[in-house]
Amino acid sequence: MEHNIKPLFAHLPSLNARLLLALVASLVLFFLDTRLNYFSPTRSALSTIVYPIQVIASFPSDASEWISDFFQNRDQLKEKNMALEATNLLNNVRLQKLQNLERENTRLRELLGSSFRLTERVLVAELLSIDLDPFSQQVVLNKGLNDGVFNGQPVLDAHGVMGQITEVTSFSSRAMLLTDPSHGLPVQINRNGLRAVAIGRGLGEPLQLEHLAHNADVRVGDVLVTSGLGGRFPVGYPVGTVIAIYFPQGKAFADIAVKPAAELDTSREVLLVLHTEKQKTKNELISTEDLH
Amino acid sequence: MATIKASQGGGIIVITIVIAMLLMLVPLADNLRFARPEWVLMTLIYWAMALPQRVGVGYAWSVGLLMDVIMGGPLGIEAFSYAFVIYLILRFHLQLRQYPLWQQALSIMTLVLVVKIPAVVMTANFASWYVWLPAVTTTVLWPIVYAFLRAVRRTFNVS
Repeated sequence: MEHNIKPLFAHLPSLNARLLLALVASLVLFFLDTRLNYFSPTRSALSTIVYPIQVIASFPSDASEWISDFFQNRDQLKEKNMALEATNLLNNVRLQKLQNLERENTRLRELLGSSFRLTERVLVAELLSIDLDPFSQQVVLNKGLNDGVFNGQPVLDAHGVMGQITEVTSFSSRAMLLTDPSHGLPVQINRNGLRAVAIGRGLGEPLQLEHLAHNADVRVGDVLVTSGLGGRFPVGYPVGTVIAIYFPQGKAFADIAVKPAAELDTSREVLLVLHTEKQKTKNELISTEDLH
Repeated sequence: MATIKASQGGGIIVITIVIAMLLMLVPLADNLRFARPEWVLMTLIYWAMALPQRVGVGYAWSVGLLMDVIMGGPLGIEAFSYAFVIYLILRFHLQLRQYPLWQQALSIMTLVLVVKIPAVVMTANFASWYVWLPAVTTTVLWPIVYAFLRAVRRTFNVS
């Protein structure tokens, strides 16, 4: 066989040349991908190719969940049902109050001559149960371009903001979680409206509030909501709670840790907010009008 | 191009690599996640060692690019790491074949450490020692993977 192969090798570039080619190609791809963001069409095309692999990989845990659902006994279901009914009742009561408040809020805003919608349309998506690189905080969702998902779309769960979409293919999308070290989220403190940016620190660590001075009015237990600045996230969704504040000696800014409200590692269903450009510009108009 | 006739079973190589990709994605318990062995790299190393004329630098680069896409990292990092490892394997495959399995496993540990360097530099995770855990698990599992893939190669007569 050896003598069959040798002439074949003679036509190919040498091993060193091929390594050099791989290096150059990798560097070009890396540069275009990270610096210019030029490759997102190529990337989503390749992602569409590998999506079946991701779906198959998520199958065993999906199946085991389905089987455990199937064999749940009657008592457990009854108990769960009762608990759900109780929360449902509670939620309904709260909702009545909220509807009242919403109506009142709209009426007041009408009086001010501005239009504002409290309800955004949402799309429900499910996470694929696959493990990605444990050092980057990302998840893959089962909704894509075909369902109207777009790049930069906010992702929420039942408790608060989870992150945003970073890559969309026809059938799936990838979301970066709040806790990713490259994720920053404009927030404000619900109590006094103080604005800040919450930066992720990866690996199940709390978020960090950046650039708040030592004398900023922040307390442990303060609830943070999205501020809507930056235009990506709609206003007023819960982000997290302040759990610790340190004042490092000799540093200009306080070190503030925030526990995310969303259940980042347990949520299976997430909500994608359809928050349109038009509405955003309207909101911006309101804020400038309010200044006068 | 009569020489091409000598090679067969390319589909089998692709199937083993796809299975390795699935193993990279299957959810593991939280404390096991960091110890996930480099299944895809192991599979590529085996085929490059056994059939250097089939699985080369370009092959490894393409598989690495797909891994970049699957894992959502910056394009080109895994691609070049895989290409580099396979380059070293092709350089030394004649020696590596002569080594006893445990010695092969140790050489492969070094290669996995090389592959992990970009990830460590990019995420600046110098402090967390468990970045290096996959190198250990890969080493331990190498003899099993080697035996399995050799059986596959012989059964399906991949050449």
